[in-house]
Amino acid sequence: MANRRQFIQQGVGAFAGFLAVDSIFARAARAAGGVTLPGSVGARSLVVVNLQGGNDGLNTLVPYGDPNYYRVRPSINIPAGEVLRIDSSLGLNPNLAGLKALYDQQRVAILQGVHYPNPNLSHFRSTEIWQTGAPEHIVDTGWAGRYLDKAGLPKSNLFKGLAIGPILPKMMVSEKTDVPTIDNLRGFGFRNTRDEQAHADQILNGDGNRYPFQSPYLELVQEVEHDAHASSTQLPHLVAGYKPAVEYPKTPFAQGLNLAAAVLAADVGTKILYISLGSFDTHTGQRVQQDRLLEQFGSGMKAFYDDLAAHRLDGQVLTMTFSEFGRRVEENANRGTDHGTAAPMFLIGGGVKGGMYGDHPSLSDLDFGNLKWHTDFRSVYATLLERWLGVPSAQVLGSSFSTLNFV
Amino acid sequence: MSADSPVAAQNEYRPSGSLDVASALAPYHGPWSTKLAAHLLRRASFGGSPQEIRAATGLGMHAAVDKLTQLVSDTFPTQPPGDISYGPLSDPAQRRKAVIATDLWWLNRALLTPNPLQERMVYFWSNHFTSGIGQKGIPPQMMVNQFALFRQYALGNYAQLTHQIARDPAMLHYLDGIANRKQHPNENFARELMELFTLGVGNYSEADVRQSARAFTGFTVDRFSQQFIFNPRQHDDGVKTFLGRSGNFDGDNIVDIIMEQPATARFMARKFLRTFVYDNPEPELIAAVADAYRSSGYDSGQLMSLLLRSNVFYSGRAYRALVKSPLELAIGALKTLGATAVGLRTLGALNQMGQLVMNPPNVAGWPGGALWMNTGTLLARLNYLHQLVLFKPAGEAPAAGAMTNPMAMSPMGVDALANAPAGRLADPASWVAGAAMNDPLSVSERVLETVVQSDATVEQQQNILNYIATDGVGNRVALSAENFEEKVRGAVSLAMALPSYQLA
Repeated sequence: MANRRQFIQQGVGAFAGFLAVDSIFARAARAAGGVTLPGSVGARSLVVVNLQGGNDGLNTLVPYGDPNYYRVRPSINIPAGEVLRIDSSLGLNPNLAGLKALYDQQRVAILQGVHYPNPNLSHFRSTEIWQTGAPEHIVDTGWAGRYLDKAGLPKSNLFKGLAIGPILPKMMVSEKTDVPTIDNLRGFGFRNTRDEQAHADQILNGDGNRYPFQSPYLELVQEVEHDAHASSTQLPHLVAGYKPAVEYPKTPFAQGLNLAAAVLAADVGTKILYISLGSFDTHTGQRVQQDRLLEQFGSGMKAFYDDLAAHRLDGQVLTMTFSEFGRRVEENANRGTDHGTAAPMFLIGGGVKGGMYGDHPSLSDLDFGNLKWHTDFRSVYATLLERWLGVPSAQVLGSSFSTLNFV
Repeated sequence: MSADSPVAAQNEYRPSGSLDVASALAPYHGPWSTKLAAHLLRRASFGGSPQEIRAATGLGMHAAVDKLTQLVSDTFPTQPPGDISYGPLSDPAQRRKAVIATDLWWLNRALLTPNPLQERMVYFWSNHFTSGIGQKGIPPQMMVNQFALFRQYALGNYAQLTHQIARDPAMLHYLDGIANRKQHPNENFARELMELFTLGVGNYSEADVRQSARAFTGFTVDRFSQQFIFNPRQHDDGVKTFLGRSGNFDGDNIVDIIMEQPATARFMARKFLRTFVYDNPEPELIAAVADAYRSSGYDSGQLMSLLLRSNVFYSGRAYRALVKSPLELAIGALKTLGATAVGLRTLGALNQMGQLVMNPPNVAGWPGGALWMNTGTLLARLNYLHQLVLFKPAGEAPAAGAMTNPMAMSPMGVDALANAPAGRLADPASWVAGAAMNDPLSVSERVLETVVQSDATVEQQQNILNYIATDGVGNRVALSAENFEEKVRGAVSLAMALPSYQLA
């Protein structure tokens, strides 16, 4: 028991909560115990990019070799001559030059036809499905939140997960792990006057036994108040040594990635980060809106990975994109597209086996006007959990899903 | 620890951690205090203003509960100001404005209504029979109408409310009742009716879902009037078998059968207890409350009256045993500070705290409890409270009288409060009414009493006293006319940052 107790004190004990143990797991435990192996599971991070609003897959990864594409998209198609060609039938939207450069370096895996059974066409519910990893049921926690709860990471680390943006995404909602939500460094923290700030520490940290009442939630509130105060005080110091190696575009998305790079370079043990870009809900005037956003996405990712490479982090930071759904195959009357189903996902980073995965869904064999999916997104999550983050996936996802070969 | 403290009450009723069911629902006869009056108003209202807490303390427990349950004439507008209609073709800016005006109207109702328990029950029912403004094309007016239904039945009959909600246009949109047709039954409403609104999981079968969906066919919304209509041509009038009974049932027959099931009363008893008393109620307490609810014929007013007078409600196990929802936190703070209206900034802050007004995250409603609390939402909570306490209306603030109906101020009602968290706040001196103005100890005690009824540790109390009595670097400063208001605002902001303040 003494050994186990010591183990827990080193912050790796909760790994015992997993049913399966494999060699990756053992390495992760070592790394969490303080032995950092470059590129090992313990040093790896996952960045999740939410292309929110429902990104149109057909104008992102363009099936320019299929005449059906030009038939169903008469006014909003990408002309074959402008496509950034990957092979004789598929290519990227011309605004994704940054992403194409990464693809050509073998650092982008493109998974085609990803979605889930009984697609839901509501933004809200479908976003919730992707973020909870639960198409069949409403659950209160997110898949990344459950990963953080079960991964047995040191409790003292306040930045195990990090959401960049104004509100905590459902993906990061957990039962036990507090995930800081940061819009930008300057706004992160209590907006007290300096005079009050001197007193805030003590105010936020009462001795739980000395209140004139008892409450099952007192400890939780104190812990979250402490974490919020401590993380907002610490973070500026932790990232102070970081200097970006590239100039990031001035868009909020790229600036958010810049903050993500700063946190990753600070090496504070952040396992999973979330950032979003949107809105991709292009019911009208799709080309203008989507092209602008895809440019922001591609140029942002290029700057991010160039910066990470300069900090020798590009091999241990993997980025996954998702969107709640793709869009209807046929364009609508307003030069836009309505809600659809399957779409491609991008996996980016030095740890990725670059290339195309899966077939492009047929443009003629449709499901009520929508593409038929063939890869369940939970297989992508399972792959990232098992092969990248080194934890068994079934406890996080509720059941077992086959893994893919992109890492 | 004084004899009338809630912990003493806890010792009385939960000596060894088990519940005495026989006395749990009996009327509370223990000492009445400011703490318990404030506890009552946190649960049965959206918190109490200092005046309301004083009044409830003076009334005693029964009279204070009577005052909440007996409704008085209410002149607050039942309708948002301006044009909140929008159709699918109108522009997004107008849609957004209409939603904001409607959200703000309801927040102002919650703050200013003379019948706070009634509006608190509207909030309860809206988180039970969920729909969402703007979701599935639900326009603001439909949500206003649905909230009017919740207000009508706030303390009324739950069985009748369930009959009414089955024909509520917002609900028919939200759970696809309008797509539930004879030839293509849509099971969404039937399933959630049983899973989340009445019986709870495990008390019905998939066949019951399919059969009852058939019974509700024909319940739809008229395209032109936007009102409920029964369309006999879309109604399946064949025989259905539901929960062991067979007949040519329609939706009302289904609701009647559901209301006969003991599981329905148990499901609702648990929900009432989790919302108003504590969130892990014992099975025997649930059973006792279910019996009371069922034997009253589902009289929600009678049930609330029973709960709000009960020993268990005033026990230490219930006291500050719930996490305030963002709405309760914000409206409660506005009441504490004597705000005359809710401003637009409060709406944005609620979003950052994780609560979209009139728009629960899904059909299961806001889960509440620990899920309200994370670093991001906590920072949003504390920063909102801080911004609110320091708020001074810029330029010429509307007179206090004009603010009692903030919606009358401009066509959309929101412009004048666009950059404000609130209308005018009460004079900070009134937050510490009765304190000796030049005595830091007296002022700090009043601040703690006003904000958290002194529910703080000795160290926290000392800390707030130190803040008032010293400058930023530890030198003693005297309270004067010059620094008084700033010090009171700062001390109230610190008191609102106390962990106790996050608990209801």
